[in-house]
Amino acid sequence: MEPLDQELDAAELELPTEPMLLNVGPAHPAMHGTVRIVMELSGEIIERCDVQVGYLHRGFEKMCERGTWTQVFPYVDRCNYVSPMLNNVGFALAGEKMLGITVPERCQWYRMILGEMARISDHLTCDGAMAMELGAFTPFLWMIKCREMVWEVMEEETGARMTHSFGRIGGMAAPPTDGFKDHVRAVVKHIMQVLDEVERLLLGNRIFLDRLENVGVISAEDAISLGWTGPCLRAAGVPYDVRKAHPYLKYGEVEFDVPVGSTSDSFDRFMVRIAEMRQSARIIEQCLERMPNKGPVNVDDPRIILPPKEEVYSTIEGTIQHFKIVMEGLKLPAGEVYSYTEAGNGELGFYLVSDGSGTPFRVRIRPPCFLVTAGLERVITGQMMADVVPSFGSLNMIGGECDR
Amino acid sequence: MPSFKLDDKEIAFEPGDTIIRAAHRAGVDVPHYCWHPGLSVAANCRMCLVEVMPPPGRPAMMLDVLAWDDLHQTYVPQKKPKLQPACQQAAADGMVIKSQTSEHAVKARSAVQELLLLNHPVDCPICDQAGECRLQDYWLEHQASKKRMKDEPVHKPKGVVFGPTIVYDAERCIMCTRCVRVSAELAKDPVLSMRERGNLNEITVAPGRQLDHAYTLMTEYVCPVGALTSSDFRFKARVWFLRSARSTCVGCATGCSSFTDFDPRSQKVYRYRPRENAAVNKYWMCDDGMLDYQRIHQGRVLEARIKGEGVSDGVALEKAAELLKGAAPQKTAVVLSAEHSNEDNQALLDFAKALGALQIYYTGRPQGQGDDILRSADKNPNTAGVLAVSGGKAKPFTDLVGAIKDGKVSVLVALGSAIGNPNDAGALKDVKAFVALSTHDGPIADHAAVVLPASSWAEADGTFVNRTGLRQESDRAINPQGQSRPAYRWVQELAKLLSLSLPWKKVSELRAASAAEAPAATPSAPPPGGE
Amino acid sequence: MSKALIELVKKNFPSAVLETHSQLGDDTVVLAPGSWKQVAAFLLDNPQSDMNMLTDLTAVDFPDRDPRFEVVAHLYSLNRGHRLRIKARIGDRDGETVELDSLSELWGSANWLERECFDMFGVKFLGHPDLRRILLYPEFEGHPLRKDYPAEKIQPLLEYRDLPNINKVAPFGPDEGMSFGRQTHKLGIYSDDEEQGSRNKIITPADN
Repeated sequence: MEPLDQELDAAELELPTEPMLLNVGPAHPAMHGTVRIVMELSGEIIERCDVQVGYLHRGFEKMCERGTWTQVFPYVDRCNYVSPMLNNVGFALAGEKMLGITVPERCQWYRMILGEMARISDHLTCDGAMAMELGAFTPFLWMIKCREMVWEVMEEETGARMTHSFGRIGGMAAPPTDGFKDHVRAVVKHIMQVLDEVERLLLGNRIFLDRLENVGVISAEDAISLGWTGPCLRAAGVPYDVRKAHPYLKYGEVEFDVPVGSTSDSFDRFMVRIAEMRQSARIIEQCLERMPNKGPVNVDDPRIILPPKEEVYSTIEGTIQHFKIVMEGLKLPAGEVYSYTEAGNGELGFYLVSDGSGTPFRVRIRPPCFLVTAGLERVITGQMMADVVPSFGSLNMIGGECDR
Repeated sequence: MPSFKLDDKEIAFEPGDTIIRAAHRAGVDVPHYCWHPGLSVAANCRMCLVEVMPPPGRPAMMLDVLAWDDLHQTYVPQKKPKLQPACQQAAADGMVIKSQTSEHAVKARSAVQELLLLNHPVDCPICDQAGECRLQDYWLEHQASKKRMKDEPVHKPKGVVFGPTIVYDAERCIMCTRCVRVSAELAKDPVLSMRERGNLNEITVAPGRQLDHAYTLMTEYVCPVGALTSSDFRFKARVWFLRSARSTCVGCATGCSSFTDFDPRSQKVYRYRPRENAAVNKYWMCDDGMLDYQRIHQGRVLEARIKGEGVSDGVALEKAAELLKGAAPQKTAVVLSAEHSNEDNQALLDFAKALGALQIYYTGRPQGQGDDILRSADKNPNTAGVLAVSGGKAKPFTDLVGAIKDGKVSVLVALGSAIGNPNDAGALKDVKAFVALSTHDGPIADHAAVVLPASSWAEADGTFVNRTGLRQESDRAINPQGQSRPAYRWVQELAKLLSLSLPWKKVSELRAASAAEAPAATPSAPPPGGE
Repeated sequence: MSKALIELVKKNFPSAVLETHSQLGDDTVVLAPGSWKQVAAFLLDNPQSDMNMLTDLTAVDFPDRDPRFEVVAHLYSLNRGHRLRIKARIGDRDGETVELDSLSELWGSANWLERECFDMFGVKFLGHPDLRRILLYPEFEGHPLRKDYPAEKIQPLLEYRDLPNINKVAPFGPDEGMSFGRQTHKLGIYSDDEEQGSRNKIITPADN
């Protein structure tokens, strides 16, 4: 559509019900700080609207073209900063697809556990924020406290709460810590208890239900056409989950269900996320069961993986290996690849183009929530102004990922 | 043409070629340390070992060896074919050779590489070669295994001063003897040699001598590792930050092809490297030329001057135009410079024509020492070019001195910085309306009423004609320094101020106009090994 | 993935397929730019391909090639579970005229994806209903993901848009859809045919 402002006076305005222009964001608490919606209101009904993104654009793809392939990891961290581990793993898998290598089994399980933990953290944030924006502050606090526990696991494993930069092409930066499995089990168990309590708190609440049910509805056809993936698409009843449809890592070997919604409203999106957290817990339990306690995490190829630091400092071979990988970067074969994984918001794709050198020629990230946000306009048009907040919240737009 | 097969690739060769030379010419790299296309064969590094398959119907020559069996923790007898050094093995028609496809050759190379690194110090972080080191490249390509030796490596002398230009580190040395051969074969001064045996051997200078011939930096250039370092470049820059421009050395009339290595961040030139050109310098450059890059940053005129006082370029241009306005054509002289490119000289020549100046002279740097290897006694890169561009009309500087003395010159426009005979400088004092386009301080800039700072050869594209009449293009490396601009740009500005019209507007047109009747150089492509 | 898709496109559009490959299992068809939309529509509608989702659309700049840009789209069929990458090579060396048909009539996702592609690469999608910049602001000069756009380049800070007769300087002008109250927009300051400069003029109630 044309920008609203230019067309406005062409629209026939009849007194006294003349439309009003309302701007929300970009610095509005409910806009999560990074999006701006200009709405044309007739009374309280949104007649037209224009969703404007880009306020968090940092030139991520351009920056990737300046370093080595390994130096892309910190950038992908900062895409979806609520579940950076999923981005890390997604990018690592893309690089590995290009190199034609598979990481050792232990690493695959490890990546799945950390990834599912990150997914839980992502969904907790989204659902918690949704509740908070409707005035239910307690569930938000509980869920954010749970998220903090997930991040404590992450901190224990990676050294950083949010931006881990922990993935590597060919493995992970470090093997699992000794207490990893116990820690994860305890945290997941607690989160599941909190989820039950949150459900008890919210699902019997009239206000909560009324504000979500049959609000922000989108048809499955529209959702597909808009390129929606992830929980938002599944809430529309389409059971598309990359983990099921095109299993990567060990997802083909674990049992889990793909929860779907029926009415495709904000409430379905809320519930799909709750159900997915339970499925994630299921996956994590199976992974913990099957992850070996010993064994290599990284592929055994000095062209790809950095040597241990003590070798770098004491032997010339280690120094050379380190030098080659750090200064020239590991080299991906020339060509192109599209690799996709299921991130918190849906299909996270990496389209990489390499010219065979140590520097990426093009790193295109296909951000799931960019396309979901593109559908916001269709979701809220015709709705009440007050429904924008829960509808927008249920889409879980992450500024870093949408704007890159 | 006879040919052989290397790893399933058909490679043609000329009679007398070795395997590696034919492969090198065909752009196929056989890994090597000691072999260099411009030097004799030493065959001592054993990196280029290949498996030459026996003729059909004949058994291969097999060696009995003991191989370590990891499973049984013991040595077991085994047979393996005798491998041949590709640098010494003459190619024969129909030969079948396996290099990377032979498991024995691959294993042997890995072992050679491991041996070479056995006593190598952990020096990469402080080594100038890091980033362009064969040991690093080949470790990744041919060894890629960790250190097995637990013992303390052998320690040898470090930081040995070989001469005024070269510092030697025996620990990093792999004894390929390339430097020994460069001294003996290129410089014809066999001042380097090898002493001791086994892991104690090191390169040494002949007693009572220093490494001080005219091509010492070539020993550093051919060194595949960081054993020989140039005291000029040592610890100055890390090579992975440098970029290279294809250039032509302007140190003398030979015009060796070179690379200008510069740091794009600081816009500073750090070194020259020879660029392979069969028609001029083969693989080499002399020390004078290698160090000539220093002049890009030394003694430069970087701001416009009026009577020695620094002024803004606009003021200087106006003053210059004022001096030149209404000059009597028969009393106006123009001095071309053999230090500058064809473009600069052509621009000035066109300006002289527009001005109506009738007297054309040329000058350049004084004569120096030459030899019969590369160095020319004429220390100007473009003497032939100036003469060709001016159609042979330019007269030597001594004639200008005479003309000034006779009072025939009242207005003078001079390109360049140096003059052939420093004693002639006094004559320039007598010209009042004297505009100079100089890159460097020198007699011309000293005596000019107005000096316009010209860019050096590293700051502008240019064409130079060497002593054999070969026309070669030199690419720009860094941005013009200070207020400097290419001389042809100054000429263009001056012409605009004087309302004179020049027959060109763009550099490409100027270049076409200056294309003197000399065959264009065809520098051969750099070899894949980056020799 | 299935090579059958490549064969399907080849069979139906023999002249439109310039090149195909299946590197790393990603089936790819390079299409003639003229038949870009036609083939895309076929892939969407044909029951054998049934590409109901346009997952991604972007471009790659190859400054040394002619045509210089490659527009790359990734298609996916939810029902059949197969993917296809289609490409079109467009644009001249100087990047002045880079045009391709828009796919926004076929897939809703093309709308924003093409806007982003236009924003970052300057690819003009013909027939796109709303080809504005999306991630960058209207005053931004150039297209940053082009290889000749220097990564270090800094664009000057924008001046506040000129809003005379208003005490409080607003960070956004009314041309971005924010009219500080009803009075102003009733006065018709949004008229399209006015020049950009005069459009910013706001008449405060006091002037009325």
